[in-house]
Amino acid sequence: MKWLVNGRLFDGELLREGLCDLVIDKGRVAKIAPAGRFVPPEAATKIDLDGRIIAPGFIDLHAHLRDPGQEWREDIVSGSRAAAAGGFTTVVAMPNTDPPIDRSSLVRYVLERGQSAGAARVLPAGSVTKGRRGQELAEMWFMANEGAAIFTDDGLPVSTAHLLRTALLYADDLGMAIMEHPEELSLTKDAQVNDGPCAARSGLKGAPKSAELIAVERGIALAKDTGAHLHLTHLSAEESLEAVRRAKEDGINITCDVTPHHLTLDESLIEKSGYNSAYKVNPPLRSERDLEALWEGLADGTVDAIATDHAPYHLDEKDLPFQEAASGIASLECAVAVVFDAWLKRGKPFGIERLLRLFTAGPASVLRKSDLGRIEEGSVADITALDIGRERRVEAKRWESKARITPWEGSALCGWPVMTMREGKVIWVDGDGGLHAERD
Amino acid sequence: MSWRRKHLIDVDDWEREDFELLLEQTSNMDSILDRSIKKAPALRGKIVVNIFYEPSTRTRTSFEIAGKLLSADVINWTASGSSAAKGESLRDTIWTLEAMGADAVVIRHGEVGVPYYLAEKLKKASVINGGDGTHAHPTQALLDLYTAWRELGSLDGKKVAIVGDILHSRVARSDIYAFKAVGAEVYLSGPSTLMPTDINSLNAMYEPNIAEAIEGADIVYMLRIQRERQDAGLFPSLDEYHRRYGLTDKLLGKAKKGALVMHPGPINRGVEIASSVADGPQSFVLKQVRAGVAVRMALLYLMLGGVKE
Repeated sequence: MKWLVNGRLFDGELLREGLCDLVIDKGRVAKIAPAGRFVPPEAATKIDLDGRIIAPGFIDLHAHLRDPGQEWREDIVSGSRAAAAGGFTTVVAMPNTDPPIDRSSLVRYVLERGQSAGAARVLPAGSVTKGRRGQELAEMWFMANEGAAIFTDDGLPVSTAHLLRTALLYADDLGMAIMEHPEELSLTKDAQVNDGPCAARSGLKGAPKSAELIAVERGIALAKDTGAHLHLTHLSAEESLEAVRRAKEDGINITCDVTPHHLTLDESLIEKSGYNSAYKVNPPLRSERDLEALWEGLADGTVDAIATDHAPYHLDEKDLPFQEAASGIASLECAVAVVFDAWLKRGKPFGIERLLRLFTAGPASVLRKSDLGRIEEGSVADITALDIGRERRVEAKRWESKARITPWEGSALCGWPVMTMREGKVIWVDGDGGLHAERD
Repeated sequence: MSWRRKHLIDVDDWEREDFELLLEQTSNMDSILDRSIKKAPALRGKIVVNIFYEPSTRTRTSFEIAGKLLSADVINWTASGSSAAKGESLRDTIWTLEAMGADAVVIRHGEVGVPYYLAEKLKKASVINGGDGTHAHPTQALLDLYTAWRELGSLDGKKVAIVGDILHSRVARSDIYAFKAVGAEVYLSGPSTLMPTDINSLNAMYEPNIAEAIEGADIVYMLRIQRERQDAGLFPSLDEYHRRYGLTDKLLGKAKKGALVMHPGPINRGVEIASSVADGPQSFVLKQVRAGVAVRMALLYLMLGGVKE
């Protein structure tokens, strides 16, 4: 039993007035009351939040945990610990593994490994097609029964419009969404950067924003057609956000997420850094204008979630000249701070509740999990404690993740998680965060 | 005289004074090439390694001659006959070269940004970019600049038309920067499919009609057309390309009388340039080659011998 005192409680929708105390018992939130109103049972371990935010455990909809098959990059243990240390209590593991997570036995493997790691909850995403080959539907019903949280062929778009339409209908019967990686591949062959000034000045092949927009519009048309729920992941272009905004106005069942890197880094950094491969990612970093459009999307509700697209690689695959380096940014352990720091530096362009929802209730609704992303009496005790005033430097060498390269290396960021709790168990505490708590 | 740059990766951070200093220095080196015994002791005891991951005879030979004329020891490390063929990483290769005592590494590589990567990884040796993918070819730009400057004097207000496959050309990217830095106006021409999408960020005027692009030009700079661009569907045929964009005597008549015709070589006769123009009195192609040796001598001298710290 735990007794969390003096926290500012964000319940998934609103930040409560004043400070709150919470009693956590048997993995659930047993009681919520204004601070100092009640005396808990003797046995409770007291954790004093001293005014820090208590939020529902953060959910990352999109991370590459590389397990099974690419454990030199990451595995479920390192990945789920990294998630916990990054402030997440739930992380959705992408299925582009080797073999791909395309059947119930592999879904079970991921769940069991995640369970035994004892860190953040790992929810497997199943692939839409067998072997991620884009030809036949994978056994989604079997995977759903085993515990798959969503379906995606991420890394690639679902190969054809017909297949995506079928998958949407099939998943809709199961009450689940399809997560689409929107990219028209014929426009992005060999692409390394955005098709903007950096591409012009370096000659690197550019991925035009139209490649994303075409796939976004395809998805919207099919979601409209079927009435099924399509989730568009890692949107990077102004035009994509505009298309989603319109679709939502038309009542189409569309949700989307954006990444911390597309919210804070733009393509100019590639040239400025002398083609440092830390900035190589797909979709590529776009223009400053696109970056601003993503923030507008956060502000007006077009965006439902912030997801990391954490893409860890071994140093030998990433510490290479730009063109041969692997594409992907590792961020699980700094993503929350990257976003809160940017939100603070921008002068809090919208309320903190909106920002917190993008890590909690927003992603929970994409996963259609009503038991996650909120705190009320009786709910699962997944909790992220956040210290908006805490400043800390990003040091990848101290990460739980196996990744050692990140664009934010050495940056002093403000606004860090200081503790994560899953089902009432403390799974991570920031040792220098000033919070007196012990890991369970 | 001082030279503060340790590496030569690109000229896009050079000031006008840097170009002018290099042109003066090149002029001195050029006079060595006229001597009967063309050897100076300036870089005795220095080791220059040419490491070429892409086939290039002229650039490599030019660096080799330049180094040797200044008495440096020049070693050619060709990627196919060396560790690269054994799968050694670039990083390990250049650390090996540095451990062997290389003072400068001239690198030619098919990928953008490789020289930046080397400069970051090397502790002591200077890096000279001999061409990185589609990105930059700074010594080509400098030799082009020197060729033009020697013939025309000040390049302020001069019109330079660069014609052809700008999209894939490291020569064009470096030349645009270099010519603009010394006051010239640069026009680009070629089909839109061979231009970068965001062409405005190249800081030059784009004119798809070649006749208008070279109208009154002081310098007409033709780029080599690679057959594989046709295979990639960027233009329909070499024949059609030649008819639209090939430099013929008639077309050259649009440029200023006596305009310089330049080309980075090797030329494709009958594609981007007609033989009669390539062999004609306005062709500066061989003068560019000679300038290449002088420019590389000047650079090696400035980088390895010009400054005592």
